[in-house]
Amino acid sequence: MKSRSTGPALGGVEERWADYPQEDLYAWIRNSSSLIDAGHPRATELWNEWKPTVMQAFNELTDDDIASLLTYIQGVNDGTYPPQVAGTPGAEVTVEQNNNWIYYVVFGILSILALFLTRMISNLGRIVTKEETGVLQPSKTIVESLTSKSVISFLLFALVLIGGYTTVKNGIAWGRQQNYAPEQPIKFSHETHAGMQGIDCQYCHDGARRSKHAVIPAANTCMNCHSAVTKGSLHGTAEISKIYASVGFDPNTLKYIDNYENMSEDEIAKIYKKWIGDSYMSDAGVESLGREGERIVKEQWDGIVSSLTSDLKPSVYGPIPWTRIHNLPDHVYFNHAQHVSIGKVECQQCHGAVEEMEILEQYAPLSMGWCINCHRETEVQFVGNEYYNSYEKYHNELSDGSREKVTVEDIGGLECQKCHY
Amino acid sequence: MKNHKEEEIWIGGKDLGSDPEFLKTAGNEFTDTPLYETMGEATESESYKTDRRDFLKYLGFGLGAATVASCDIPVKKALPYVVKPDTIVPGIPNYYASSYVNGGDFCSVLVKTREGRPIKIEGNSLSSVSMGGTSARAQAYVLSLYDTNRFKGPIARDGEKGFAASTWDAIDAAVKSNLNGNSRIAIISNSILSPTTKKAIARFKSSFPNTKHVSYDPVSSSAMLLANEATFGSKVIPDYRFDKANVIVSFGADFLGTWISPIEYARQYAKNRVIKDVDNASMSKHVQIENGMSLTGSNADNRILVKPSQQGAAIAALCNLLGGSGSGPSLPKEIMDSLRVLADELKGARGKALVVSNSNNVSEQILVNKINDVLGSYGNTISFAHPSMQRQGIDSDMNDLIADMNAGRIDAVMVYGANPAYDFPGSSFADAFAKVDFKLSFAQSNDETTALCDYVAPDHHGLESWGDAEPKLGHCHLIQPTINPLFNTRQAQTSLLTWAGEKLDYYDYLKSNWTQNILGGGSWDKALHDGFHNSGASYSAGAFSANVGNALSNVSKPNSSDLEINFYETVHMGNGQFANNPWLMEMPDPVTRTSWGNILHVPVKFNGVRKFIGFNDLEDGDTVTLTVNGVAQTAVVVQQFGQMPGTVSLSLGYGREVGGKSAVGYGTNVNPWLTTDANGLTQYYATDVAVSGKTGEDDDFASVQYHHTMGVKDVNTAGEEVVADELATGTLVKGFEGSLTNRSIIRRTHIADVKEFVHHLHEERHHFEHLNEQTLYPYDEYKEDLYDQGHHWGMHVDLNACIGCGACTVACIAENNVPIVGKHEVHRHHEMTWLRIDRYFYGDADNPNTVYQPMMCQHCDNAPCENVCPVNATNHSSEGLNQMAYNRCVGTRYCANNCPYKVRRFNWLDYTTADLWPSNEPELTKSDELPFGADNLTRMVLNPDVTVRSRGVIEKCSFCTQRIQSGKLVAKKEGRRLEDRDVRTACQTACPTGAITFGDTNNKKGQLSKKLRSPLNYVVLEEVNTRSSVNYSAKLINKIEKLDA
Repeated sequence: MKSRSTGPALGGVEERWADYPQEDLYAWIRNSSSLIDAGHPRATELWNEWKPTVMQAFNELTDDDIASLLTYIQGVNDGTYPPQVAGTPGAEVTVEQNNNWIYYVVFGILSILALFLTRMISNLGRIVTKEETGVLQPSKTIVESLTSKSVISFLLFALVLIGGYTTVKNGIAWGRQQNYAPEQPIKFSHETHAGMQGIDCQYCHDGARRSKHAVIPAANTCMNCHSAVTKGSLHGTAEISKIYASVGFDPNTLKYIDNYENMSEDEIAKIYKKWIGDSYMSDAGVESLGREGERIVKEQWDGIVSSLTSDLKPSVYGPIPWTRIHNLPDHVYFNHAQHVSIGKVECQQCHGAVEEMEILEQYAPLSMGWCINCHRETEVQFVGNEYYNSYEKYHNELSDGSREKVTVEDIGGLECQKCHY
Repeated sequence: MKNHKEEEIWIGGKDLGSDPEFLKTAGNEFTDTPLYETMGEATESESYKTDRRDFLKYLGFGLGAATVASCDIPVKKALPYVVKPDTIVPGIPNYYASSYVNGGDFCSVLVKTREGRPIKIEGNSLSSVSMGGTSARAQAYVLSLYDTNRFKGPIARDGEKGFAASTWDAIDAAVKSNLNGNSRIAIISNSILSPTTKKAIARFKSSFPNTKHVSYDPVSSSAMLLANEATFGSKVIPDYRFDKANVIVSFGADFLGTWISPIEYARQYAKNRVIKDVDNASMSKHVQIENGMSLTGSNADNRILVKPSQQGAAIAALCNLLGGSGSGPSLPKEIMDSLRVLADELKGARGKALVVSNSNNVSEQILVNKINDVLGSYGNTISFAHPSMQRQGIDSDMNDLIADMNAGRIDAVMVYGANPAYDFPGSSFADAFAKVDFKLSFAQSNDETTALCDYVAPDHHGLESWGDAEPKLGHCHLIQPTINPLFNTRQAQTSLLTWAGEKLDYYDYLKSNWTQNILGGGSWDKALHDGFHNSGASYSAGAFSANVGNALSNVSKPNSSDLEINFYETVHMGNGQFANNPWLMEMPDPVTRTSWGNILHVPVKFNGVRKFIGFNDLEDGDTVTLTVNGVAQTAVVVQQFGQMPGTVSLSLGYGREVGGKSAVGYGTNVNPWLTTDANGLTQYYATDVAVSGKTGEDDDFASVQYHHTMGVKDVNTAGEEVVADELATGTLVKGFEGSLTNRSIIRRTHIADVKEFVHHLHEERHHFEHLNEQTLYPYDEYKEDLYDQGHHWGMHVDLNACIGCGACTVACIAENNVPIVGKHEVHRHHEMTWLRIDRYFYGDADNPNTVYQPMMCQHCDNAPCENVCPVNATNHSSEGLNQMAYNRCVGTRYCANNCPYKVRRFNWLDYTTADLWPSNEPELTKSDELPFGADNLTRMVLNPDVTVRSRGVIEKCSFCTQRIQSGKLVAKKEGRRLEDRDVRTACQTACPTGAITFGDTNNKKGQLSKKLRSPLNYVVLEEVNTRSSVNYSAKLINKIEKLDA
C-alpha cells in the first residue's frame, strides 16, 4: 500500500496523477499499455522506471468501479478505512444463564434430608434398644457419626474410585497436545496467507497430495512470493527478513547473494540491518535512523539471529527451525496422500479452520479414538476409483440396495496394521 | 547306510539320533537357561535376587519416573529444506540404478533412498548380468556405508605414535615428495572390473612409468585363466550357461554361492530346475564332486565324495573315460565306478553338458577344458563371446611382487581395495611389505594391511562414488553416487589422477571415457537411468589345443593321509572382506547353520543304534586343536552330514585381527595354512592335518541348527512314532484329528515318480481337508464372508528354485529393521530374523540330499497365535494378514509358544536401544558399548516406514505390510486395480532364482494365482488346520540312481 514492490505504491496514486485529467488515470488503470503506447508523459515516466513490468489490463472495469477502488485505496492509505465500530466491543454480550445452582440446592436439600433420616433411624434404634434393655444409650454426636468406620470407609472407597478414574483418564491422554500452539521462529500467520490471501493449503504443503508427509515448505517456496512481497502487513520487515536471512536473499537489491553460505555473521548482519534501517526510514519518512530506528534495527536483527540459530547451527544461513505441532507417536503410520488425494478429506477436518488462525494450534486431539471414530463414519470414495472394483461384494450390495454405504471400517480401516507397523 | 525310513527328514545328528536332551528342549519354545546364566558374566547369582524392599524401591521409582517423564512433552523441531531439490519429496523413496562391486563380486542394483539416504538395495531387473537377482553380500552392501569403523579422513603415521589424522594436502605433498618419475611403484588390488579405473591407473603409470599393477583375488581362480590361455590362447574366464545344460558336473565349484558370478549362474540354474509342467516334468541333472558339503553341493542331485587331494585324479579319470587316452593317478574303486556312470550320463548329453571345477591347478583346468571340448560344450553351454572379467588375478604375480619387495626392488606400494596381509596365503606378505619405504592404502576402514601402511587416503564408499564395472565383456554397468560423502574421503581414482598431475573431476573423466570408448553414440542419460549399457564388444577365442598328456601327468596326486582338510569360501563372508558387516556375520552359513565364526565340519558316523557320533567323538560346539602343516590353532567343531569320512572342512574369511567390532575375535584364520603348488597358485586344501580330541567348549557356540524346530519325530516307549513336542506336552491319541503326528513339513520326490507323488499328495491333502472340516467354524463359510473380496495376501515358495543362498534373509533384515543381537545372544536362541531358511537332510545319512525351506510367518487364517494373546496384540486383518501391534504387546510370549511354525521372535533385551529406560540395556554388551546398529550412524540405514521395536515385545514377518500399504496407495492414486508389480516383498525381490512369489490370491490373473495352481503345492503342517497363506511346491530331484548303487 505504502511501499513500492513490483510497481509503485498504491497509496497516493491520485496525488501523483493530480497534474493530469482524471480520465487519464482511469485509462491508465484500465489499460496501462495503451497509454504508454500513446506516449502519455506520466505513463512514459512510469514505464521507464518499471519496465518491462506492465500492469495487467482490466478493460471490464467501469468508472464507478475505479472510483470505488480509488476511494478504498485512499481510505486504507490514510487510515480512515475500515471505519471504527462505535462503542467498546463486547459490551453488549449477555451473561449466560448459569443453572448449576439448582443442582447445589437440590444436593443440599437431599443431604439434609439424608442426615435427618439417619438421625431418625438411629433414634428409633435407640428407642427400640431402650424398650428391650431399659437402658437409654447416649445419642451420637454429628462428629461421631461422621467419623464412624462406615463413613470413613465409604469416603476412602470413593476417593480410590475417583482417583483411579482420573488417573486412568489422564493417563490415556498423556502425551496428547490438543490446542498446542507453540511460538514459532517466524510469526507466520495462516490467517493472512490462507485466509486473507486465499492461498491453497497445498501450494505450500505440497507433500499432502502425494506423500505421507504434508511437508513444511522449504524456504524457497516462501520466496516464490516473498521475492516481491518484502514487507509484512503485521510485522513489516521483522519476520520476512528471517526468510531472507535463511536463504540468502538481499532485499535491498532483490537478488540472491552469491557465496552466502560462506559469509561471516558481520557481513550478513550488514546486509539485513541496512534493509531494516532503510525500510524504517522510508516508512517513517525520515532521513536518518535516530534512536528509535537504531533500536528497531537492533531488535529485528537480534530476532533474526535468535530465531534462526541454535547450538547446533551457529549461522543464520540454513533451514528455519520450525516447531513441530502435530506429533504422532513413532509407532503410528499416517499418510497424508491417502486422506487428501484418495479420501478427499478437507484439510480443515483434522486441522480446523487454519485460515482463521493467527497462531497455528493443534485442532484435533490426534488420539487413536479420534482416528477410529472417523474411520467408522467416513464413507469410502468408492465410485470412480477402479482400485475399489476388487470389492465386488460391496459393489453388488450397493447396486441391489442392501447396503447404503461402505465406510472405511468396512474395508478394514480399523485393523491394527493399517496404521501400526 | 539305510538305517532309517525312506520318508525321514532330519536337520542334524541330534534329531536323527533322538538325542534325549535335544528332544526335551525341542518341545519348549524357549530355552530355559537359569536366570543367573542368562544374565551374562554373573557368577554371584545372589546379586540378582530381588527382595521386598528393592521391589518397593523399583516400584516407587518406576511410578515417579513415569510421571516425570510424561509431564514434560518434548519440543520437536521440523527442519524443512532451504532449497528443496525438485526430485525429492519427503516420504517418497527415490531409486537410482547403480552397481555393487567388491573385487570380482558384482551385482547390478537399484538403490532405494529416502530423503537422500540410501536404505535398501534391490536387484536391477534390466541388467543382462544379474537379471534382477541379488546376493546376501549385495543386500548387506548398504550397511557398510554406515560402518562406524570407516576412516573419517586421511591419515598419516606419526612416528611411533601410530596413526594420526592428516589432511588431503599433506597426503598429496607426501606423495609428491616421496615419489618421482623413477620410483618403482606397485599398485596392489583385487580384480578390477572398472574400465575407467584401469584407464586412471594407466594415466598414473604414464606419470610414474615404473609402476606396475598387480591384481590377485582373495579366493583365486588363476588356474582357470592360465588354463584358458594354454588351451584357447586367451587369459579369460568364459561365459557359462547353466540354463542350457542338461547335465551339470561340478568338481568342487560352488557356482551357486561363491564361484565367479553366482547370482547370474543361480538364475540360469534355477531356470532348468523348476518344474513348469508336471505332466511332462523335466529338469537338469546336477552332480557335485567334493568332500565337504558346499551350498552348490547341497543342491546337487548326486554328490560323489572324493578327498581334496583326489580331485585332480578324478578329473583326469573322467577325462580318460570320455575318450582321453592317457593315464592318470589311480583312484579307489567306488569312485571309479561312480565316474563311469557319470561319464555315460555326460556322453548322453553331448552339447548339453557342462563341467566346471574350482581347482586351482592349471593341468586340472586344462583337463576340464578338454572334457568340455569332448562333450561339445564350447559354443553350446560355454561361450567366449562375452567372457567374464570377474576373476583376473594371477597368484604368482603377487609372489613375484613379494620377491621384489624382499629384494628392495620396490620403492612404494599402494593398496587399493585389497587386504593381502590377511587374505594372501601364507605369511610372507607382511614381512616383505615392511621392507617398502612408502606404503599407502586406499582402504575405507582399518584392516591388517592398512595397519602396516604409512599413509591412508581413504576411498569413498561405492554408494558415494561415480564409477563403472564391466563384469562381462561388453556388459558395461555404471555406479552413481546416492549420497554425499559422509566423511572427508576422496575417491581413489581421483587421488591417483591428482598425483599424476590431472586436475579434474572423476565424473567428467568417467563420462568422457564412456562417451569415447563405451557408449558408441548411445545415450549417457539412458545408460545412467538403466544402470548399464551393452556396448556389443565381443571376443573370439581360438580353437582348443593343449597337451593333454602332459596335463594328465601333472594333476595333483592323491595323498594317502588319513585326514585331509579343505578350505572353502562361504556365501556371506568371502575371504574376510565382509567381516565388518554384522548383517553378514550373523547370517547363518546355509549348510552348517552356524554364525559368528567359522566352524570345523567333521563327518558323522552311525553307531548302529540310532545314534550318530562325530569324528573323534566330537560334538557340536566342542573346541579342538587343529594342526595343519605343523601349525596348531584352536577351532570349534560342528558335526556335518555329507562331510566325507577322512576329511574335515573349514571356511575362509574369519579370525580377522584388525577390523571392526564384528570382525575381530570371531573364528579361526586359515589363510596362514594355505600353500601354493609348483606354479605358485594357492591350493585350498591340505593333507597334513591332525584334529585333537575335545579340548573344551565354545561358551557362545552360535549355531541356529536346532533353534526353532517345528516338530521332530521320535519313537516313544511304546514304539510308536510321535513328535518330540508331544513328549513334552503329554501324549495325544494317535489319529486324533488335527493331531501333531506325521507332520508335513517337507514334501519331496524323484522326478521319475512325480505323477504317483502328486496323486499321493492330493490324497493326503484331501484327507487333511476332511479332518479340518470337522469343526464348528467352517472355514469355507467365513472365508467367503471375510476374504473373498478386496485383497487376500498369499505367498508361494518354490522349493526347487530355492538354493538356500540367504539373500532373502538379509533383505528382510534391511527392510524391516530387524536387530542384530551378537554371538552370545544367538547362542541363547535369541536371533531375531523374521525369515529363516531351514535346512533339512533326507535320504542316505552318509551322503544325504538337502532341502532348503524359507520359513516365515505363514499368516494363517486360523492362527493359533491369535487366540492365545491375552491383550489381542496379534489379530487378523480382513486381507488375511496376521497382524502384530507392538505397542499393545505385553510380552507374555504365549503366541510364540503356540506357533507351530516357530516364526515369532521376542525382544529379550533392548537390542535397538529404542527403549524408554536406558537401564534395560545392560548385560547385552560389555561396558558402555552400544549394541550393533544402535549408534546414530548405523541408524541411518533404518527404514523409516517400519517401527523399531523395543524390549519386551514379540515381532515377526509382516508380509512387508509397509510395501503392501504403499503399493495399494499407488494403485489408488492411479485409479486402477492393484497389480503384481505394486506389491513385492523384500524377500521376493532379493531372490536370485525367483523362488518366492507374493501376491493377492483374489487376483485370479496374477502371478501368484498361476503358481497356486501347481499340483506340486502343499501347505506346511496342513493337518493342524492353521489355514496358512503360504504354499510351498514340493522339492524334486533328478537323482542318478545308479550313482548310489
